[in-house]
Amino acid sequence: MLRTSIRSVRALGSRPAAAVAGRQWQASAARRAVVSGQRFYADDKKPVVDEAKLPAAETLTAPTTPPPPPPQTTPAATITPEQAPLTPPAPGPAVVPPPPPPVAPIVPKKKGFFRRLRNFLLKLVLLGVLGFGGGVWYSRINDNFHDFFTQYVPYGEEAVLYLEELDFRKRFPNVANRVTGRRADTASEQVSIPAQSGASWRVADGDHAGRQSSGVAQKVVAAKDAVKDTVKDIVKPEPAAVTKAKKETAALPKVEAKDAALEKKVKGVEEKKEVAVIPAAATSSKPKEFRAPDVNEPSVWPPASPIDPLSVPHADDAIVQQLVHMLNDIITVINYDGAADKYSQTIWKAKDEVSKVGERILSIKSAAEEEAAKQVKARIDSFDKHANDLVSRLEAIMLAQEQQWRQEFEAEVERLKHNYDDKIKLIQEREQKLSEQKLQNKLLEQAVELQRQFSRDIKKHVEEEREGRLGRIESLSRAVSELEKLTTGLNEVVDTNLRTQQLHVAVEAVRASLEDAHHPRPFIKELVALKEIAADDPVVDAAIASIHPSAYQRGISTSAELIDRFRRVAAEVRKASLLPEDAGVASHASSYLLSKVMFKKQGLAAGDDVESILTRTQTFLEEGDLDNAAREMNTLGGWAKTLSRDWLSEVRKVLEVQQALDVITTEARLQSLKVE
Amino acid sequence: MADTAPATTTSPTSRAVSRPVSEALLNEKWDRCFSNLIIKSSLGLGFGVVFSVLLFKRRAWPAFVGVGFGAGRAYEECNSSLKQAAKEIRKQA
Repeated sequence: MLRTSIRSVRALGSRPAAAVAGRQWQASAARRAVVSGQRFYADDKKPVVDEAKLPAAETLTAPTTPPPPPPQTTPAATITPEQAPLTPPAPGPAVVPPPPPPVAPIVPKKKGFFRRLRNFLLKLVLLGVLGFGGGVWYSRINDNFHDFFTQYVPYGEEAVLYLEELDFRKRFPNVANRVTGRRADTASEQVSIPAQSGASWRVADGDHAGRQSSGVAQKVVAAKDAVKDTVKDIVKPEPAAVTKAKKETAALPKVEAKDAALEKKVKGVEEKKEVAVIPAAATSSKPKEFRAPDVNEPSVWPPASPIDPLSVPHADDAIVQQLVHMLNDIITVINYDGAADKYSQTIWKAKDEVSKVGERILSIKSAAEEEAAKQVKARIDSFDKHANDLVSRLEAIMLAQEQQWRQEFEAEVERLKHNYDDKIKLIQEREQKLSEQKLQNKLLEQAVELQRQFSRDIKKHVEEEREGRLGRIESLSRAVSELEKLTTGLNEVVDTNLRTQQLHVAVEAVRASLEDAHHPRPFIKELVALKEIAADDPVVDAAIASIHPSAYQRGISTSAELIDRFRRVAAEVRKASLLPEDAGVASHASSYLLSKVMFKKQGLAAGDDVESILTRTQTFLEEGDLDNAAREMNTLGGWAKTLSRDWLSEVRKVLEVQQALDVITTEARLQSLKVE
Repeated sequence: MADTAPATTTSPTSRAVSRPVSEALLNEKWDRCFSNLIIKSSLGLGFGVVFSVLLFKRRAWPAFVGVGFGAGRAYEECNSSLKQAAKEIRKQA
């Protein structure tokens, strides 16, 4: 900022704005590259010690490679004798540095000092020129470097300015010529002016403001240039007019920002008008004022009575206030300068204008306010209407809801009532039913009891009657049973008679079968018939049981058979009649032989010997006395008895049967006797 | 042999086969004894003859000795059987 202001003071806007802009544009892009270059340049300038390296590098481009080998060999040969005992442990660092100094100076010295100096100078000059040029170029890119360069490098500023000028002229050849042409004049005149008017810094300020808003600034610049061209001689009033115009233009954006949208349009129109008018006014007023001092001599008055500061009646508005303030500032400045007489006219006009503007603004404001008030009123009315509508609607809805609810409530109440009534009816019906059922139950119980009683009575009567009849029937049955007994008794008698007869018949049949047979034959059938006829008669049963079963199974031999068999048995017994007790073969043979020689007895022979017994039995048998015969035979002993054993058993059987039959016949006789 | 005839004649009844009639008991024993005597004596005769042929150069006495042995043994057996029968009779009595 400081730099630009100073420069502008020096060159009065001669400095091309485009150049500055261009510098700023390129700055960011090229900063890096230039910084490195700048450093190099700075390092290059100061240390002069690099001289030794530069020539060595340049001159020994070709021979640089060869030199290294010789120094290694030469120092090794030369140094070993001199420094061998001193420092043997660290030969690397000690040995290597020494060789270059002696080698480097040795080579250029041979070529010539002047030539080296000339080369050095040439390079220095070349580098310097290059560095200067680069500095100038870079100063156009970087602002900081520009400052540094212009300040510290001699002739740097001039060179940079010249370059910028050239650039500007290239871009704007027409403007550049004018500016340059006029610049010299203005610069010469400006030096004298600032003390009186003090408008110079204002111009700078305006310029600064113009920079910010490019559109307006360009216009302003154009207007300024035009004004400057047309009015070259008179400089004093010009800045004032310009400032005035600029003030308005500068203030306008602020107004735009502050005011509302309604005012904006109106103002925009006004501004345009003003912007258009102001230059015209400026152009028109300037010649008038130029004339005024010429014509009016007694315009000493105005200086004596300085221009009154403007006072707008209704200065409530900020814009108007600002305008008034600015105008007052101008007035004060003019008063201070004592040039009131000069500018009184214009100031007056300006005052009028300002007051008019103020009035207009006021009128606009009032109109806007009225409109706003109207709108607000209309809005309020509409809001009231809406509110009333809403309230009425809400009330209507509430009423409707209340009515609905009431209806619902009533309906609900009715429904509940109905339900309760139904329930009560149901309960009553049930109770009635219950009571009826109870009564019915009681009736039924009574009926049942009555029926029971009735049945009991009937039963009693029936039983009484029955008992009476039954008694008679029982007596009858007793009589009948007695009669039956009598009949059975008679039957029994008849039966027993029949049985005894049958028994007799059966016994006779058995006896007949026994006596009839010439040969022994079984008489089981007869016996069975007898047993059946006897019908569990114990005596008959016992008699039958006493008979040996073989007797009735095989039959019993007759008396003739028995006698016949006795004869054979008797012969055998006689053979063994003489046997001793424990007889052997010899005694048997002797008894057999001797028995043949023995005498035979006759009749009932007395004696216990075998021969006499045999004769007795034979006689008994012949008599038919089986019992005695058996008794005689039974008295035998030893071999005789064993030999006669079978015959004896036969006889016994016959005897048993005869006995049993006798018993049965007696029993039958007894039975018949019993019956009778 | 004369005693055996009446024994056979007395057995027209079929039951005599199964069990001898009591009056035929002694006769039966005698029959056994005789048969036994014949068998044993013939056996002894046979042995005696064989011995006489083999050992005694056809002498007569070994044959008679054999018969004697056989008859003796038969006699003894008959005797013992008779005595046994007698014992049994006594026991029964």
